Amino acid sequence: MAMPMRRTLVALHRATCRRLTNAEVSLDVRHPGPLFLPVRTKKRYFIPPAVGMKTKMEGFTEAKARAAGIVGKQENIERPINISCTAGVFDPYVPPEGDARLSTLSKEGLKQRAEQIRQSATSQLAIRKIKEHDSLFKTRDFAERAQEIFVEAHNALTQFNKEKLHSLVTERCYPEMTRGNRYKTIRWSFIESLEPPRVVHARCTDMVAKGNVYGQVTVRMHSRQTLAIYDRFGRLMLGSEEQPKDVLEYLVIERHLVNPYGRWRLHGKIVPSWAPAKDPIIKVTFYSAPADNIYLLVRKRQRSKPLSLSKGD
Amino acid sequence: SLESKAWEKKNLKVYPPQLPDEPRRPAEIHHSRRQIKYSKDKMWYLAKMIQGLSIDEAIAQLEFNDKKGAKIMKEVLLEAQEKAVKNHNVEYKSNLYVAESYSGKGRYLKRIRYHGRGMFGIMDKVYCHYFVKLVEGSPPKTVEKTSFDQAKQYVQNLKSRTIIHSL
Repeated sequence: MAMPMRRTLVALHRATCRRLTNAEVSLDVRHPGPLFLPVRTKKRYFIPPAVGMKTKMEGFTEAKARAAGIVGKQENIERPINISCTAGVFDPYVPPEGDARLSTLSKEGLKQRAEQIRQSATSQLAIRKIKEHDSLFKTRDFAERAQEIFVEAHNALTQFNKEKLHSLVTERCYPEMTRGNRYKTIRWSFIESLEPPRVVHARCTDMVAKGNVYGQVTVRMHSRQTLAIYDRFGRLMLGSEEQPKDVLEYLVIERHLVNPYGRWRLHGKIVPSWAPAKDPIIKVTFYSAPADNIYLLVRKRQRSKPLSLSKGD
Repeated sequence: SLESKAWEKKNLKVYPPQLPDEPRRPAEIHHSRRQIKYSKDKMWYLAKMIQGLSIDEAIAQLEFNDKKGAKIMKEVLLEAQEKAVKNHNVEYKSNLYVAESYSGKGRYLKRIRYHGRGMFGIMDKVYCHYFVKLVEGSPPKTVEKTSFDQAKQYVQNLKSRTIIHSL
């Protein structure tokens, strides 16, 4: 696709010649538009755009301007951010060791049962402060409401209903719940509650400004649940749908008390130090081909001794 | 559209949970690298070389290949293997094979190549994309058909002809 370059030069030459003949133009008088147009104005050649010109120009202006001290128009640095939840759990509740593992008839069990929230003074103060802002607060009703919030939030997680989930769960808890779950199917069901939920702990904290009060209440609940997580291809990854598990949980529910439209939302869970989250057991569910090959290889080498390898499960 | 990322979107498809009596669905991982500074025709040779091999074999072949594209392709395969184990719930990293592998044309830059007598040509600075699809499991064994088999098939076809409307 070689095109003659000469045509460009000829055209330029012609244009300059024409301009020179026009006496008015040579006297440096500026016309609004050309009076004489050359006949062949159609561009019949192609020059690919010279790359590097544009990028050089951009870098050139910014650096030079900054060095010269010229301050350009400032872009919007201020951006209002609405904080409607705290960053973590303040003064986390330390659950007593062996909670729900001892029978209630033993001495320690009785001690635990007798433990009332009235023992802790700070919790009482916090509850009083919460009642200042929300007069209808009652510990007994609140515990049941907390369980309802928990169940609804997990149902919304299975359907992945973002709006509902945001209204039931704080912004700090949302990524914890949904990380890595977007392309997975979760099936969760709440079978029954083994013990009535109890409020065990309460705290009130201020964020940023003095009067900006947030209330955090910890609820202890013992329940039976089933959880099954399927990966992107519909294969069972974790848990099982038929096998229910007894779960003892300490939920932290939070509310922005000063805000009249604030709602009690799930803020997080407290994992006791004596019951850390264990890794799921590695269960080989199918008999894979590489294992087969290794078996044959080993079998070939030791022909005298017959081997028996346990295959999968 | 020139910037369509259809290959990457295939990784976002979610299947409904399988019933217990269904056979286990093998995991599929789609990975690609865009705008590689290499020719798509030269890349094609390497892509078709590793198509159908298990991932360990493919990586081994690319490691000892002298071409420039082989090094890049090996990086892409290792990335894809890591993603498979981390994000797509693949149990064993060696239990994968290359199901599809091909190269495509990227977006070229154009420059002037000067010829004599004031002539010029437009030079393309070539770029290519490379796409690979890994599937869980052992590679499928292709039954090689020998020439004798084909001849036998031909004779069989001839013998099984029927003449219609005959006596």
